[in-house]
Formats: sequence, C-alpha cells, structure tokens
Amino acid sequence: MSLSIEKQYHQDKDLWTVKITGEVDIYTSDEMKETLNEMVEEKKSEIQIDCRELSYIDSSGLGVLIGILKKLKEENKNLVVVNARSNILKLLSITGLDKVFIVKENQNEG
Amino acid sequence: MKGDKMGMHKEKIDFECVREGQKCIDLSIPANPEYVSIVRLTASVIANNIGFDFEEIEDIKVAVSEACNNVVVHSKRENNFDIRFISESEKIGVVVKDNGNGFDLADYTSPDLKNPSDHGLGIFVIKSLMDRVEVNSSKENGTEIKMYKNLL
Repeated sequence: MSLSIEKQYHQDKDLWTVKITGEVDIYTSDEMKETLNEMVEEKKSEIQIDCRELSYIDSSGLGVLIGILKKLKEENKNLVVVNARSNILKLLSITGLDKVFIVKENQNEG
Repeated sequence: MKGDKMGMHKEKIDFECVREGQKCIDLSIPANPEYVSIVRLTASVIANNIGFDFEEIEDIKVAVSEACNNVVVHSKRENNFDIRFISESEKIGVVVKDNGNGFDLADYTSPDLKNPSDHGLGIFVIKSLMDRVEVNSSKENGTEIKMYKNLL
C-alpha cells in the first residue's frame, strides 16, 4: 500500500492543488498531514484536493483534513474536495463533513 | 486460578463460540499503524467471497479499519491484538479485541458539525456502515468491538 501526494501552488488563483493517489489510513495519514502542514505554513491559501486517484480514506485521514481546515479558516480560506469516488463521498456524507469541506464533483485537472 | 500457568504469554483471548455454518478466520497483529492494512485486505477478500458487492466491501473495509485504528490508538505498540472474521452464507461478522485500558464510551457521540473534531469519528462511522455493532470497553478487559453486516 502506498500513498503519493503531488502539490502545486497557482499564484494567479492564489490556490493550492493537491492530487492524492493511493490509500490514506492510520499509517499513511501522517505523511499527508506533514505535506499539508508544510503547504499551509508556506501559504495559507485555499486548498483543492483532487481525490480521483484516492482509493481509500478513513477517519484518521479525515481528521487530518479537519485539522488543516481549522488552520485555513484562520484566514477565512476553504478546503475543497473534488472528484471523490462514491465510497469516499458516502463517508463524507455520513460524517457530515460534506457540509464542512466544500465538495465538488467532476472538476477538470489544473 | 486456571490461567496462571499461561502467565508468560499474552492472556488468551476468548472469542464467542462458533455456531454451525460459521467459518472463522483469526488474525493477530501488532498494535501498530502499519499493520492495519493487512486486516483491511483480509476483510476485503472474505467479504468478496461471501458475495458482498463493491460498495458493501468498501463499507466493511472502512468499518474494520476504524475498529483497528481504535485499538492502535489505545494500546501499547508492543502488544498484539486479535481480529476474528466470522463468515456465514449471508453475513459477515468481525470482532476486534484488545487487552488495552479501554476507553470511555460516553466520549463517543455523534460528530458536532459546528465544531468538527478529529476525535471520536471512528465508532460513529462503524455504526453508520454496519448493520449491528456492539462495543464493550473496560479497564479490566480492554475493548471489544463486534460488528455484523448482512448480505442484502
């Protein structure tokens, strides 16, 4: 099981885009936490997470996202989840996090 | 005390008796985050063999992982903990059991959306995804999470 995270800052839109590939669980969530924290420390801008290639996430990963959103909210910025698969959308809906993060479907890359 | 001769070993965990028509698959893994994926993969194979569809298998994987996460967070990492999968013709049961110090069930309520927290989501998620869930936790006996899902 592996996790890869590609991040990119878009100056024109003041936006971070992140593409997460693989599984985020209690083992790999620390890696995601580290990357997202680095980004927020560098620039507290809106973060858009592309979940097209995210096959699995559980509460340990969602917890990391909540922590990041709290930091973004200090600057009134949002965390946007795009292209999440149905199993992940279901989890966001169950936990009510679909109303905490901004969830968008079918977004093009970039 | 009958169990005293076993004192050198980790206390034997007694799962509930297996009934006719049930097959059991037992795992014992270190209470360490990197091993949780083994349980998830095993759950996925067993659920697939019973006949659960893709979406249900995903639900079972998440629920089982959440139970394991709970153990990993509340146990010492040098200890192993036990997982029993109970496979039936139209049902899966998963029992996750540890010898940790237990946790206060009263702390686990529905998530508060106005003040989202990264704690306490796990048990709530398990209860949402599975058909029947029992959680027993005490300082003396550790924590046992039993969960069942029926094939529709």
